Amino acid sequence: MNILRTFIIGIFREAIAKKIMLTVFSLFTFLLILIIFAITNEVVDNVITVFEASGQAAYRDAVVAFEAGLISNVPMFLLIVMFIIIVSSFIPSMLREGQIDILLSKPISRPKIVFGHFIAGILLVFFSLVLILGIIWLVVSLKTGIWHFPFLYSIFWMTFIFALLYSTIIFFAFLTKSNIITIIINLFLFFPLTYMLYKYVSWINQGGVSYGGILNILLKFLYYLLPKPWDLSDITDSIVRVSAVNSYMAVYMSILFISVMLAFSVVYFNKKDY
Amino acid sequence: MNFVEVSELTKYYPGKTFSKDRILALDKVSFTVGEGEIFGLLGPNGAGKTTLVKILLGIVHPTTGTAGLLGKNLSDVKVKSSVGYLPENHKYPQYLSAGQLLEFYGKLSGMNNTEVKKRSDELLKLVDMEKWKTTKIRKYSKGMMQRVGLAQALINDPKLIFLDEPTDGVDPIGRKHIRDVLIELRNQGKTIFLNSHMLSEIEMICDRVVILNKGSLIKEGNVKDIITTSDLFIFNTSEISDTTMNILLSKYKCMISDRKSFTCKTESLDELNMLIDFLRSEKILIENISKERNTLEKMFINLIEHQN
Repeated sequence: MNILRTFIIGIFREAIAKKIMLTVFSLFTFLLILIIFAITNEVVDNVITVFEASGQAAYRDAVVAFEAGLISNVPMFLLIVMFIIIVSSFIPSMLREGQIDILLSKPISRPKIVFGHFIAGILLVFFSLVLILGIIWLVVSLKTGIWHFPFLYSIFWMTFIFALLYSTIIFFAFLTKSNIITIIINLFLFFPLTYMLYKYVSWINQGGVSYGGILNILLKFLYYLLPKPWDLSDITDSIVRVSAVNSYMAVYMSILFISVMLAFSVVYFNKKDY
Repeated sequence: MNFVEVSELTKYYPGKTFSKDRILALDKVSFTVGEGEIFGLLGPNGAGKTTLVKILLGIVHPTTGTAGLLGKNLSDVKVKSSVGYLPENHKYPQYLSAGQLLEFYGKLSGMNNTEVKKRSDELLKLVDMEKWKTTKIRKYSKGMMQRVGLAQALINDPKLIFLDEPTDGVDPIGRKHIRDVLIELRNQGKTIFLNSHMLSEIEMICDRVVILNKGSLIKEGNVKDIITTSDLFIFNTSEISDTTMNILLSKYKCMISDRKSFTCKTESLDELNMLIDFLRSEKILIENISKERNTLEKMFINLIEHQN
């Protein structure tokens, strides 16, 4: 635990030094200003009055839909991209000659270094999400009077989506030692690759005509093989709206994917000379 | 118990991409380092010194052979809690201060808060960096970085310390300071494994050395034995006549520097005394006789040139 705590403090110090926390706080302040503007805006007041007039249930549904919209595909995509850019430099900077030597000379096994960085990165993003989404929720709740607690579950779900992509970031960072290449690979993986696969499978599930033949098999194979952030985003949306989740397959597959990626990272890191 | 044990250690690095050729960095190297020794690892650039140190610390994996530290196998990472390391080109996170750096590495070595704080203060005082404890590392000079690096290597109060070029980039006063710290550590009974190009320093500090060249061990021994193996004697005398000079050249195979100084090789103490008797019989006043000192640098250069 002592070593994990040290890694977490180290990652947070690096994040503060690299102005990462400043970026998160700037974004947070910008959002806060927008929301405060919305609170004091007459148009918003009128919209709320209209919804209130249509009955308590409809009013509540409208607030929940608004909150779900805040973490739907596009905002989720932007937030996750921001976090990918933020954390992708941690492993390459650790692997710099002269720094990795000292780390490996300490009484810590190589798998512990991988897991320590993984957990520390996830906690950094989790606390940033608590800050960003927590304040948004607080302000919306204060303004509308609707305290919709399931919105807060989105913090955990978005952290999970991030963890899924972070496991690939860690693997490619070990492989390439370059944060730029890691960012490019992960952004390509996150969007457009997994998004297109997600859209293709959703289309087929809704009765669309598949490509057929080898292409169909290949696309489906890739869909099941690669991470499913967009399916997880759908699950998050359902949980925030308190509606039934169609399938948790993406969750199980994502846990499997994270495990495989971390295992690959550990095996590669274990064999490598520095 | 041997603190460092290296047996038949061989390391090949992969060659160029798509090439089957491998680069030999270490070739069946074997030696031991005992407790409390200051041990020097010497060799020209590319001799395999850093590879050897990195293998001992688990940073590089050996191709074949075995090695152990403090009587334990290298696969046991816990042994490293009694080991300190200062790499040659260390790069510490620039955003940390000396205090934060020591705290970070101390905790990774398994120390608790109280131990780290106490030890950090002691070490920063030892390396004369206590005034800079809260200053960010990016503002440090090369010499200051080396001193903080030394403190980092000592943070866990290690029994065995690996130092790779500890005086690199340090001015003469800083070098003297680091040397004093090393001697102080030896007095405390620490075992030090020193990898340095500064042969004069190795000669001053080390008890024993190993010389590597092109991955192979070419010489191993006590520093005192290596630098005093010469059987040449330097004589400083009153002025020598031409006749005496000729006798010294022909009978005693001496090398004459000038009329007042010459060097002679003697096979035994008796032969040396015979030479002295001869000089005295010639009424030559002997001012000084000294054994020629074979410096480590001279011996090192001879060995490497001979090998190459």
